[in-house]
Amino acid sequence: MGRAVAITGLGAVTAVGPNVPALATAVVDGRCGIRPLELFTAQGRCSIAASADAAVVDAETALDAPSRRRLSRADRFALAASAEACAAAGLDAAEREATAVFVGATTAGMRETEEFYRRRRAGETARFRPSHLLGASLAAPGAVVAQALGLFGARSTMSTACSSSALAIGAAVDAIRQGRTRTALALGCDQLCRLTYAGFDALQALDPAACRPFDRERHGLSLGEGAGALLLEDAEHARARGATIHAVVLGWGTTTDAHHVTAPHPQGAGAVRALTAALADAARPATAVDYVNAHGSATKQNDEIEVGALRAVLGASLGRIPVSSSKSQVGHTLAAAGAIEAVVTVLALRDGRLPATVGLATPEWDDVDFVPTPGRHASIGIAASSSYGFGGHNVTLVLARPEAA
Amino acid sequence: MTPVAVTGLGVVSGFGLGVEPFWSGLLAGRSGLRPIERFAASGAPLVGAVDGLEVRAFAQTALARRIDRTSLLALAACRLAIADAGGLPASAPDQLGLVLGSALGNLGETTLFLDRLFARGAGNPLLFPNLVMNASLSYASIELGVTGPTALITEQDASGEAAIAWGAQWVAAGRAEVVLAGAADELDPIIVEVLRDTGAIDPSGPHPLDRRAAGCAPGEGATVLVLEPLSAARARGARVYATLVPHDGFSVPSPVHGWPADATALGRRLAAVVGDADLIVAAADGAPVRDRLESDALAVAVGDRRPAITAPRGAIGAFGSAGALGVATAVLAVHHSRVPPTLGCESPRSSTLDVVRDGARAAAVRVAVAHGLARGGVCRPVRVEAVGG
Repeated sequence: MGRAVAITGLGAVTAVGPNVPALATAVVDGRCGIRPLELFTAQGRCSIAASADAAVVDAETALDAPSRRRLSRADRFALAASAEACAAAGLDAAEREATAVFVGATTAGMRETEEFYRRRRAGETARFRPSHLLGASLAAPGAVVAQALGLFGARSTMSTACSSSALAIGAAVDAIRQGRTRTALALGCDQLCRLTYAGFDALQALDPAACRPFDRERHGLSLGEGAGALLLEDAEHARARGATIHAVVLGWGTTTDAHHVTAPHPQGAGAVRALTAALADAARPATAVDYVNAHGSATKQNDEIEVGALRAVLGASLGRIPVSSSKSQVGHTLAAAGAIEAVVTVLALRDGRLPATVGLATPEWDDVDFVPTPGRHASIGIAASSSYGFGGHNVTLVLARPEAA
Repeated sequence: MTPVAVTGLGVVSGFGLGVEPFWSGLLAGRSGLRPIERFAASGAPLVGAVDGLEVRAFAQTALARRIDRTSLLALAACRLAIADAGGLPASAPDQLGLVLGSALGNLGETTLFLDRLFARGAGNPLLFPNLVMNASLSYASIELGVTGPTALITEQDASGEAAIAWGAQWVAAGRAEVVLAGAADELDPIIVEVLRDTGAIDPSGPHPLDRRAAGCAPGEGATVLVLEPLSAARARGARVYATLVPHDGFSVPSPVHGWPADATALGRRLAAVVGDADLIVAAADGAPVRDRLESDALAVAVGDRRPAITAPRGAIGAFGSAGALGVATAVLAVHHSRVPPTLGCESPRSSTLDVVRDGARAAAVRVAVAHGLARGGVCRPVRVEAVGG
């Protein structure tokens, strides 16, 4: 299994605030970041979203001028969250230079790309530079973060829809365990864009009102945007340099449904195997789990299948394990979801305060201990966080308080 | 870590479907580039397009009838690789993994979706599922019944090398017993339009590593490798082409959307990976900035040694996943002890580099490195070694 993996830095940009302290307060108070959509006009059934503030960050000044001019919203979210995580971890320049970067992204700069493409087709070519389309690569946020923060280890960007950044965290864990790097930044970022907004709306997957995970009256998801970042580190290295260890990663698992391009497996077979594999990787029994930060997208199908999967793996313990979904506050941030929810889970472990499930009034299932608004105080040792992506890509992470490892 | 064996190869290229047309075409110094037939485009007289790719030949489920071109290229390469390996080795269902790379995914249908969205304000629910970057992963996992770990890796120009390195890493670390690893990218009108309007295409055809390098020829294609532990391959008596040594690669200072400026720094870091190579499969595609960078960096990296160098993108065209075909070139060169010539290179930029020209060369290749280089400063070399070396 290799070396133990510590989490020594956290960063997050979400609809409830530009940093981790704002997120930490909001998830417990139960503030909702879903509001009317202002970024563009949506002409479908739905016109709300969890928009984040793409503020300019100091780290941008380290980039050359052409790179700086072409930053997308997703690039800015990524950079702000990553700068926060790296600063919190307190790495020096040499340690940063050796840091690997693993990124999950599905839209990256798509909003800007859409606009360039629209202008091109509308014949407004004067303001259009075709090279912008090729700059719309999903690998751009990783390049922005690495170049601005001086992270010159290995770099990879992965895209498995809504589990992308959970997979990035798993990849970083493997690299540290196997001694391929001592420090790694795992990052997830995505921005709202017309393509995903119109696409999910056309599939009738969006709730016209703020989403309500696990509620009897849930009608779909609410889209969001932002970034989550975690600085992962060889635990021995972290201790040697006196870094604060917020939590540790005990294990992770990833599986594939091989069932459908959009729908999850009806029995949640892949989700069950991902949680089982993550627990096996963590060398912990199902009874050791104290808290679950669910995927909880609030679609009819997802929540039903997810509860079934939890029941199948956790069995009789399920009734005493608190479960919450953070998507009712920060929206479904697609590729960023896994990393943002991992940050939320680390905060729950570290601070002993469980996040609320905003919008949950009448739970559909009575054998699950959902955490309603406001959150609750509870000391937990081990937590699971799951992410399920379009196309059947499932990832579960098992995290723990350092003393529970 | 466990040595990783390559036991199957599936290549889809401008030369046709399968390893045989690809390898015999490269060795003969033929070009896989032709005028575009699939759609109307101006400004790109020659492209590396894949003809005769039938959905029904590769997609068997009803669901897959809606498959997009990039996903079909990937699925075709998967099926060809499995057939080339004589079938998948037996493994527990959860122990079969899949890693696919793509730089741009399903760009063709993305533009169709956006055209309708801008015209009518509504998205097309039938197209949307195909637009996620991992569509190829999803279709291939369903068609092939892959329920183990899967990942879609995207790293611009090095998407092919990155995905294959990732798959080798999973086998070496025991995350799966067998991994299909490769990459695919399609050619469609918007790519030709953008490359043409940015002056990236050389109408006379590409001249990689040549003084006259003035642009690329756009291409498309896919390659997938069957990877498994060398011990398992030997135990079942499988043909082993070569072994892969996973390398995480590294990154160097660079503009976000451009190429690193410091070829010397890049070359010094590359030296550790290519220092003992008999062959380097270059990433050069005829684009002047990238060719100059790679040529200068390799000259630093090889020092006084003169490993053979070949650049297959001169014959197959340039696309984000072309590096997967570069890895296939390295694997086949090691296996057959032959190095194909670099099409379009007549007067090499660097006198230090031994660029193979004027016909295939017979040479024992114990170590070959496929050099993956991406905008934004990512370097993903893939090391291929002869079995028992």
